[in-house]
Amino acid sequence: MTAAAPVTSGLRIAWVGRRSMGVAIARTFSARGGLFVSGGFYLMVTAILSELWKTAAQANGGAVAGYSATALVWYIATSESVTIPLPVKMIDDIGVDIANDTIAIEMLRPIAPIVVRVATEFGVVLPRLAMCASLGFCFAWISGGRPISGPALLLAAPSMVLALLLNICAQHFCAAAAFWVRDAKSAWFIYQKLVFVTGGMLLPLEVLPSALADITRWLPFMTMAYAPARLASGHVEPELLLIQLGWLVVLAAGAWWAFDRGQRHLIGGAS
Amino acid sequence: MRAAWITFRFAMQEALSNRLALWIQMIVMIVNDLVWVLFWVIFFEKVGSLRGWDVDLVLLLLAVMTTSGGIVLGLFHNVRNIGSLVADGGLDAALALPTNPLSHLLVRSVAPINLGDLVFGIGLFVYVSRLEPLPTLLFAICVVCSSILLLSFLLLMGSMTFFVGRNEGGELGFHAVLLFSSYPVDIFTGVFKVLLFTVVPAGFITTVPVRLIDDFNPLLGLGFVAVTAAFAFVAIATFHLGLRRYTSGATWVRA
Repeated sequence: MTAAAPVTSGLRIAWVGRRSMGVAIARTFSARGGLFVSGGFYLMVTAILSELWKTAAQANGGAVAGYSATALVWYIATSESVTIPLPVKMIDDIGVDIANDTIAIEMLRPIAPIVVRVATEFGVVLPRLAMCASLGFCFAWISGGRPISGPALLLAAPSMVLALLLNICAQHFCAAAAFWVRDAKSAWFIYQKLVFVTGGMLLPLEVLPSALADITRWLPFMTMAYAPARLASGHVEPELLLIQLGWLVVLAAGAWWAFDRGQRHLIGGAS
Repeated sequence: MRAAWITFRFAMQEALSNRLALWIQMIVMIVNDLVWVLFWVIFFEKVGSLRGWDVDLVLLLLAVMTTSGGIVLGLFHNVRNIGSLVADGGLDAALALPTNPLSHLLVRSVAPINLGDLVFGIGLFVYVSRLEPLPTLLFAICVVCSSILLLSFLLLMGSMTFFVGRNEGGELGFHAVLLFSSYPVDIFTGVFKVLLFTVVPAGFITTVPVRLIDDFNPLLGLGFVAVTAAFAFVAIATFHLGLRRYTSGATWVRA
């Protein structure tokens, strides 16, 4: 098997990525059933968790780990809106595509499969993010109260988009293991739970025992839920965006490298 | 019943055929469940108790939830697919068999990953209760009722597809009942709490069983059994009524 000569021009890659993303966005909007389920599920999860944390804050003198009841509602509405739009079993799905040689076919295109895949996934989740974030904004305002800080909320907007992109890149990086082990089943379960706890999706990292909280700050998972949620809960901390950008470079490069090595392995195995 | 039993045995054999995959999936599910235990331990460490719930009661709730969830989604896994089978007109194979299509559909497949929930739930209950006789007996009875309730609700949601033609509502109902059942319903108040004892019976699936196991009340117990029976009756009736409206999609391989 030989792959077509890859397109290496940055402009060309950007153009293909943008086109792939555009098609995915259009497809997501046309499949309204999926959007409906995603939005409904988001509202349910957000309602439960914010009620839980609100009740906890009220029972603890109005705050938990420095977060007021209002801040906790905004935190949860944001952390959920950047995680629920993502396909739950993305790692598993990519692993299946690697195992059944769908990726091998994609390698015949003159563009790296990782570019098309990341762009497509990003296109799929952006409309869902827009919907969940809008619902979350209304929900948090009604249930928790007005935003604590306007500037922090403004910073949260790009942070949410970055969080999704980071998550997609990280999942591709993990799923690339399937090039060698041919089976990424179940890995998504563990990954998902890492985002749940060490990523701060279910609870602010400040709530964790201090040793665990310290470790989580050095892991990339905190950029996928905690960073935008912390900003939306009224903390003006622009350095969180810089941390996200830094991890984006690392994870995007890691995913590119892992797929590149994996594809070479695939070609080597087939020849 | 015999046909259903044989179908179930084959489904079980199929699930057990790849032992390594079975163990891996079960372990992964157990790790997943342990994360929830970790979450609740951290939560109650920080907030103490909440509206009468402490970490022990929530762990008991998790035990009931994972055990009944493991039974329904593990042993009767196909109940999740009924809605999509109806929407796609994929029930033909089940309807052509000389047996009750509902019992065939329910026992048609076993999901190894959810068997991990079952093992975890029982293990967690043993840890929480230390196997005291009365709580153990109540746990067994409550889990049976809770499983019937969950199964009935999922069947009802799937059967609604016969009438509305689409399965998105069923999918949402599935997520809703599992999600709300994983939390103590007492954290909610007002209309929301009423909904969780009616439209989405999450309160009956976990909160009521926990109350019964923790502090048995015969009246509540009778009410629980009555609600379970009512849900099962409505679900079965809805499926059979809906079946009259079924339109074939000429798909013979899925059911």
